[in-house]
Formats: sequence, C-alpha cells, structure tokens
Amino acid sequence: MVQKYEALLLTIPEITGDEAKDLESKLDKVVKAGSGSTVSFERWGKYKLAYDVNKSEYGVYYLMRFEVPKGTSLISDMKTYISVKLNNIVMRDMISYLDPKIPSTYQRPRSLEEAPAREEGFQRENRGSGYFSSDSRHDIDED
Amino acid sequence: MTKKIKLKISARLVKKRTRRAGGNRPKSCRFCSDKEQVYSVDYKNSTFLKGFLTERGKILPSRISGACARHQRCISAEIRKSRVMALLPYSGPAF
Repeated sequence: MVQKYEALLLTIPEITGDEAKDLESKLDKVVKAGSGSTVSFERWGKYKLAYDVNKSEYGVYYLMRFEVPKGTSLISDMKTYISVKLNNIVMRDMISYLDPKIPSTYQRPRSLEEAPAREEGFQRENRGSGYFSSDSRHDIDED
Repeated sequence: MTKKIKLKISARLVKKRTRRAGGNRPKSCRFCSDKEQVYSVDYKNSTFLKGFLTERGKILPSRISGACARHQRCISAEIRKSRVMALLPYSGPAF
C-alpha cells in the first residue's frame, strides 16, 4: 500500500539555483532511504509573505510530492532532517497527506515573478522617464 | 364534523412567518451543493481562502460565509494551515 504525501517548503529568498538543486537531491536521498519515491519537485517562485519570517519579507516556495509505503518512519525522519540539516535554507515546512480521492491538480497564488512583475517593470519604466523629463525641464527653467 | 378555520392571526405570528419564508432567502451551503468546489478549499490555494477572512485577518463566521458546520471546519482548518506557511496573515494591517 503506497501513500502519497506532499511537502511545501518555504525557503529564504536569496536561494541560488545550485542550492535549490542541492535541496532537491538531499530530500530525494531521504525519501529513497525510506524506500519511497519522489513524484515531483516544483518551484512556485518568489512571494511576498503575509508576515515577516526570519526577518525577511519575501520567500521562495517549493512543492515536493512523494510516495511512501505504509508503516515507515519516513515522515518523522524527514521532518527532523528538514528542521536540523536544512535549517539555514528552509524557513517553514509542511508535510501533509494527500487523499487519493482528491484530484492531484491544485491552484496556487500568483508569484511575484508572474503577472505582477511585468506591471511593476512597466510602472518603473514610465516613472523613470517621467522623472527624467520633469527634472530636465526644471533645470532649464532655473537657468 | 367541520373543521374550525382560524381567521385571525396575531401580528407576531405574521412577522414570524415572513421572517422564515419571505424576507431572507433560504441558506444553503455552497460546498454541499457543488462538490467540485470542495477541492478548492486547500491550504495552498490562498487566493480562494482570502475570501473567508475579514479585513483584519479573522476567519469569517459560518453565518456570514454560509458554509455548513462540516465545511466551515474544513475552511478554518485550511486557513490555519495556510497561516503557518505565511500564505495568509494571522492579523491584518493595523489602523
């Protein structure tokens, strides 16, 4: 009997690509040590958090799904591994059981890198040009 | 035997009847009527759960959210899970 679990990890915003790969391989190793198998490892992207965690406003979420045979101590092992060994990267974690009746598709909130990022860039461009033109005019008037 | 028909109804009873049937529409849990919607009650789907919070970040009571007791429990449990992961606030912005 195989049970499906998922782990949502909130990592520090300054996480690099190498660190993310390292995180994935380490967790994969832990799952394999408990005779399970990883199904997926997804990067959600950067988010503005609802409140400050470890004095940082932003964070990066990773969702990992894995299968575990029934009756192993993998889940408790994984919890301790994350809180002890990955202490410097992972700020919050949540491991939850996935009901087989519920479809595996899920919805997640928009990250900063998706739609709002474009808006911000657009605003920044416009603002930049606006400031520039008004400043230059000001200089001419003063002269 | 002929049945006696009550012709006069007291004002209080009329009020009670209108309150029950006429004025308010009957409440029904939207999660009970649409099973698909239950799947969107998930701690990862914080944009959906945001609709069940007040401005200050409190969980809406079931008399306002319109959910039955069973689904209200699901909603509040998922909101509490979502708060741990910093997807939803414990308390909203101060005035």
